[in-house]
Amino acid sequence: MSGERHPDAGGRSPDRPSARGGPGWLRGARPKAYTVAAVNILAREVLEGSLPPIWVQGEVTGWKRHVSGHCYFTLRDRSARLRAVMWRSDAQRLPADPDEGMEVRALGRLTIYEKSGEYQIQVNELDSMREGGLWRVAFEKLRAKLEAEDLLAQERKRPLPRYPAVVGVVTSPVGAALQDILRVIETRAPWTRVLLSPAKVQGDGAGSDVARAIRLLARSGVADVIIVGRGGGSVEDLWAFNEETVARAIVNSPVPVISAVGHEVDFTIADLVADWRAPTPSAAAEHAVPDRRAIERDLRSLATRMASGLDRWVQSRRQRSSRSRETLTEAVTWMVQSRRDAAATLGDRLDALSPLGALRRGFAVPRDEAKRVLRSVHDFRPGMRVDLRIADGVVDCRVEDLREEPL
Amino acid sequence: MTAGTTTLEQRLGRIEAIVARLESDRLELEEAMALFEEGVAHLREVDQLLREAELRIERLIAGPAGSVTSEPLPDATSGGPPREPA
Repeated sequence: MSGERHPDAGGRSPDRPSARGGPGWLRGARPKAYTVAAVNILAREVLEGSLPPIWVQGEVTGWKRHVSGHCYFTLRDRSARLRAVMWRSDAQRLPADPDEGMEVRALGRLTIYEKSGEYQIQVNELDSMREGGLWRVAFEKLRAKLEAEDLLAQERKRPLPRYPAVVGVVTSPVGAALQDILRVIETRAPWTRVLLSPAKVQGDGAGSDVARAIRLLARSGVADVIIVGRGGGSVEDLWAFNEETVARAIVNSPVPVISAVGHEVDFTIADLVADWRAPTPSAAAEHAVPDRRAIERDLRSLATRMASGLDRWVQSRRQRSSRSRETLTEAVTWMVQSRRDAAATLGDRLDALSPLGALRRGFAVPRDEAKRVLRSVHDFRPGMRVDLRIADGVVDCRVEDLREEPL
Repeated sequence: MTAGTTTLEQRLGRIEAIVARLESDRLELEEAMALFEEGVAHLREVDQLLREAELRIERLIAGPAGSVTSEPLPDATSGGPPREPA
C-alpha cells in the first residue's frame, strides 16, 4: 500500500506530466492516478512534516468530550475557524473542559484527518487565557457546586478532639509530609497512635486514591481525627486535592479532617471542606495533638490546687474542732504544710505531694472494711478487722483490745 | 480506642473533677483522703505516660470484604522511607 500511495519519497511521481512529451493521455498512455486515501495520506505527511508544533490562540466553540475520552472542538477568531482534536491521553490531564467561547491557547501539530480530508490541529496542551487558567476554572466550578450544597458552611466545621488517641494520616508513605507529621507528633504527644492510610498523592488517579484512603480510615473506625495532605508542589502536583471525589470523602468522614496541602499559599478544595485548614503538614500535626509541655503545666497547677484544696479542708476543720490535737487532722495539716511547696513540680515531687508521703513520717490512717476512717476508740471493737493505711501500703489488722486514753 | 491513650483525656478530666471536689467545702475526711489518693494516682499515671510514651505508627490495610487491619510501620521516623521487611 505504501508504494501505491506514495510512489516517491521526495513527492515526485514518475507519472508526472513531462514538459517534453505533453500530457500522457495525448500520447495514449493514461497517467497513473492516486487513490483518494493515498492523496490524503500524502497531504497529511507533507503537512505534518513541514511544521513543528505551534501555539494557536482562539476561542473554543463546540467543545465535545466523546465517551472515549477524546475531545473535539473548533478554534475560531473573527475571520476563521480551525478544527481541533485532543486525544484522551492529553485531554485527561485537563482540570476542566473549557467553556463555550473561552479564549484559549493551544499547542499542537497541524494534521489532516484522512477519512474526511479535513485539516485540523491535534492539540497536546490547552489552557484558558483567564488568570489561573483551566485550573482556576475547575476550582471555581467545584467550589460553586459544593457551596450550592452548603458543604463549605462554617457551621459544618466540627471541633477537633483535644486529646486524640489515634490520629489517621492520609498521605504518601514516602513523602516528606509524613516525616514532618510524625516528627511533630512524636515531640508533642508521643503517646499517640498514628494510623497511616497510604495514598498516591499526585499523578494519574491520585484524587481517587486519596479519596479511597480517607474512606478506608473512616471504615476502620479507630481514628479520632484525620490529617489529609502532602508537601508542596506545582498546581498540577496538588491537583488531587482539588478533585470532587476527595472533597466528598472529606465531607463524609465521620471524624474531623485537617487538610494540609502544600505550603501556606496553596489553597485547595480540600482546604475548603476540611474541618480545619492547616498551612503545612507540620502545622496540621501541631494542631491535631496537644503539647506535652502544656499538659505538664496543667498537671502542675492541678496538683497545686489539689494540695491547697486539702489544706483548706484542714483549716476549716481545725476551726470547727475543739480538739486541737486530733491526730489525723494534725497529720494531714502537717503533710499539707510541709509538702505544699513541693507540689509546684511533677516527677519526683509528685511523691511528696501524696498523703502517703506524709504518712511516711509515721502517721497511719485506720479504716474499717467500708474504708471509713476510724477516729475514736468507740469506732473500734475487739475482733474487728481494720486496715492501716501507711506510707507504702495497707496493713490488715485485727483489733485485740482497746482503752480510752486522751492525749 | 486504645487503652493507654483514651484514658489520658479521662484521667485529666477526673483530676479536674477531683480538684473541684477538694476545693468545695462539704467533704468528710474519708472522702477527702480517697479523692486525694485517687488524684495522685491519676497524676502519676499521666506523668508516666508523658515521660515514657513512644509513638506507635501503623499502616492501614484493606482486607477482604471491606475489613480493615493494620500493621506496625517500623523505622517510620528514622528519616528515610519505610523499609520493606526482609
